[in-house]
Formats: sequence, C-alpha cells, structure tokens
Amino acid sequence: MIKFENVIKRYTSQKALDGINLQIHHGEFVSLVGLSGAGKSTLLKLIIGEERIDGGKILIDDVDITKVKKSDLPYLRRKIGMVFQDIKLLPKRTAFENVAFAMEVCGHRKDKIAKEVPKILELVGLLHKKDNFPNEMSGGEKQRVAIARALSHRPVLLLADEPTGNLDEVNAAEVIDLLLKINQLGTTVILATHAADLVNKIKRRVITIEGGKITIEQQKGKYKL
Amino acid sequence: MLDSISFFRIIKTGLTNFGRNLWLSMAATMVMTITLVIFSTLFLLFMMTSYSLKTIQNTVDISVYYKIGLPEEQINLVKTELATDSRIKDISYVSAMQAFDDFKSKHQSDPLITQSLNELTENPLPATLHVKTYNLEDYPAIAEKLNSDQYKDYIDKVNFEDNRFIIERLNKILKFIVTFGLGLAGVFALIAILVIYNTITLTIYNRKEEVEIMRLVGATNWYIRGPFLTESMLYSLLSTIITALLFIPVFTKVIPVVIQYINPQVSLYNNSVVNFAYLCLVLFGIALVLSFVSTMMAIRKYLKI
Repeated sequence: MIKFENVIKRYTSQKALDGINLQIHHGEFVSLVGLSGAGKSTLLKLIIGEERIDGGKILIDDVDITKVKKSDLPYLRRKIGMVFQDIKLLPKRTAFENVAFAMEVCGHRKDKIAKEVPKILELVGLLHKKDNFPNEMSGGEKQRVAIARALSHRPVLLLADEPTGNLDEVNAAEVIDLLLKINQLGTTVILATHAADLVNKIKRRVITIEGGKITIEQQKGKYKL
Repeated sequence: MLDSISFFRIIKTGLTNFGRNLWLSMAATMVMTITLVIFSTLFLLFMMTSYSLKTIQNTVDISVYYKIGLPEEQINLVKTELATDSRIKDISYVSAMQAFDDFKSKHQSDPLITQSLNELTENPLPATLHVKTYNLEDYPAIAEKLNSDQYKDYIDKVNFEDNRFIIERLNKILKFIVTFGLGLAGVFALIAILVIYNTITLTIYNRKEEVEIMRLVGATNWYIRGPFLTESMLYSLLSTIITALLFIPVFTKVIPVVIQYINPQVSLYNNSVVNFAYLCLVLFGIALVLSFVSTMMAIRKYLKI
C-alpha cells in the first residue's frame, strides 16, 4: 500500500530522513518509534504531502505522491486521516460540530453529515458527549473526537503523530485501544510514538528510526532503542 | 470545481468573518468608500469640465463678410477654395438675400425697422460664410489667410472672436483635475489596499486554527481562500452602495442644473441616469480590483496552504 524508496528529506543542510526504504501493507498496524527529532513526524508529513521530499519516491497504491500536484493534495488528504499530539480541535465548536466541520469543508451535504457524524461518534464511544465543547472533555476524549474527525472521510489510512503525548496512562490506553479497533475494521494505522509501554502492549509491527534512518524492524516487536 | 454547497458555505463563512471583525470591516469599507468618493468626484469634475470645453469649442467660428453685391461665381470661388483646406471642418453659407429675409423676419414686430427696410432699394446686407475648423489652434491662421491680399477683392471683413483664452484656461483646469485627482485617488487607493490587507491578515490570523484543520482534512485551496475573498468583495459592494447613495442627489439635482447652465438647449436627464449606472459599475470594478489585489497579497503572505 505505502512504499518508501530511498526517501531523503533535508531541512537546510541536515538530513531529517536519510535513505528510508519501507513498505506498509493494507490493514497493517505499524508503530513508528524513536526519540524526538528522529524523523517520525517528518515521515508522516511526507505521506500527507505536507512536506516535499528531496530524493527518492513515495508510492501509495502505486501512485507516486511526490508527483501529485499541489492543487490535488486535498483529494489525497481525504483518503488519509491524521491525528496529532496537540489534538487541534476547534474550541468554539461541540464534538459533533468538530467532526461535522471536516465533512462540511469537503462539500458533504447537510443530511449526510447529520446521519454520519453520530455513527462516527458512536464508534469512538462519545455519542453521549456530542454536544460538549472541547473544554468540557478530558484529554483522552478530545483525542477521540480528533480521531472521529479523522475518520469522517472513511480514510484507508490513519496516521497518528504522538496521539498520547499529552495524555495520562488511562486516557492513553483508551486512545490506543480505539486505534486498534479502527485497525480491526480495516483501516491501516501508522502510530508514531515514543511511549515504550504502549508499543510493548500493542505487539504489532515496530519500526525504529534513529537519526533519520530505520535501524530496527520487527514484525511483532517491542520498543527498542 | 466548486459545487453549489461549497459555494454557499464559502459565502456564509465570508459573511461570518465580516461580522466577527465588525469594526475592522467597517474601517476597511470606509477607506474604500473615501477612495470611491474621490474617484467619483474626479469623474464628475472631468465630465463637467470637458463638457463645458466642448460646448465653448462649438461656439467658436470665423464669420466672413463678402463685399456687397459680389457676383455669385466669385462668392463660390472663395467657398470652393476654402473647402479644399483640410483644416476646415464645416463651411456654412448665408446668401445676402437670405440674410435680408432673416433680418426682416427677426424684426417684423418692429414697425420702424420694417418701414425703413421697405424704403430700401437695395439689399444692404452682405453674403456671409461661417467657417469652423477641426482644431482650435488653426483659427488664427485661417483668419489671417482670409485677411490676406488674395481675398481682399471679395471679402469686406473677417470676424473672429478669439475664445482661445477661455479654452486654454479650461484645458489647464482639466489637466489639473486629472493630475491632482489621479494623484489623490492613487494615494487613497494605496491606503485602501493597505487597510484591507491588514484586515484580511487579521482575519487569517483569527482563523489560523480553522484554516490548519481545513487543510489537514482535505479542503481545497479555493475553499480555504474563498471566505477571505468573499469578505473583501463585501467591502467593495458596501462601499460602492454607500458612494452611490451619496452621489444620487448630485446626479439628480446638481448635474442637470449645471448642464442646463452650460448649454440650455440640452436636456440631459436620461443621460444622467445612464451615466450614474455606468459610474456605479466602474466604481464597483475599481473597488473589486483594489480589494482583490490586497486580499491576494495577504493570502499569499499569510495563508499557508
């Protein structure tokens, strides 16, 4: 599904990613681990076209996304959901409105939005909080709303960049459980994290990045550095 | 391409943005209105002055009085020679007989003049030519030519009222209006661009989070830019409406009076309505260009898509 071929990314003269070769298949759950600044976030940003590569190729379903026109990037992003450490919910909108917003900006009809959003909120276990504003929710709940928003386009791929970074253990576990559930439903998930405990519990494929290079790859791995 | 749902959502967001920064939006609208008022005043002054100029220009001509009793063929000789001059636009001929008849009918109510005329055995009035040129500058040369020895056997008198002084003054005023007016309009256009640029920049800043999320969830670039363009178009529309309202009394009350004063034979009421509509359209066009330029500048600089 996703193929990195000798991908290089530089920030000024420093290489953030140095010759990455990687293949991720449909339905996989991959944990991307490494210290801060190792290149995990850069790798995810390259997948959604937020950053451009300086060498190599990135193929998603055999389409070279490095050659996708800037004006076509929005359509690529609709196939890929993304969640972040800082959550990025709109504070003046309710949980329902935050998820609906993502559908609105992509031109979905009002009746479709009214039908779909409750289903997605139910999937993340927050239907009962649909009318709550972000400041009325816990960190874990907010992140689940963000995941619901990322799922609103029914993406084939979900990228999670340190989604548990600001959460306590219980909330973090809830978020990881949700990501696993989404993966079970068929969505490929790539989780970038440096939370060793969580990665060890997941027991799925683990890719370790150090200094912009993949150093360890394990099929049912643990967090190793 | 944008579908209708997205189009309406863009308009709605644009209106919301306008309302959220109401004071800033009003300031932007006001500066744009001042610019448009200057443009309109400039346009009107220019129109009035050039109309006066044209009217005065039309009154200038050279009157050529033939010697009394000059035979028809000699009269025609001068006429034909003048007709070959490329500087001359129009020659109208009034024969001695016609001049006499005109004079008679003009004074028919005055018994003293009528009686005196009846006592005359011969027509005392000469045949005349009225000569108009294309360019004002050519009048003195033509007058001089007619006064030359070449025509002295045929022509008694050449009368040329030199209005060039007034015309030159009007031309100077016209030039001043254009230079000063365009300068002033330019300065205000620049201020309008800067104010709108700042307002849109602030709106972008206020909606930073929203824009970032829109981008990440796959909103198209035009969907993200659209509300900012809508907002600035609203400034254009409102400022055009305000300027138009301010100028309605000028068009309905002042202009017809001024035009009547300049040229009493013309009724310009209909023209004035057409001119007003035309002016509004031009103003809206100017406002749109100014706001589009400033918004695109702000978008390019601050809206990272």
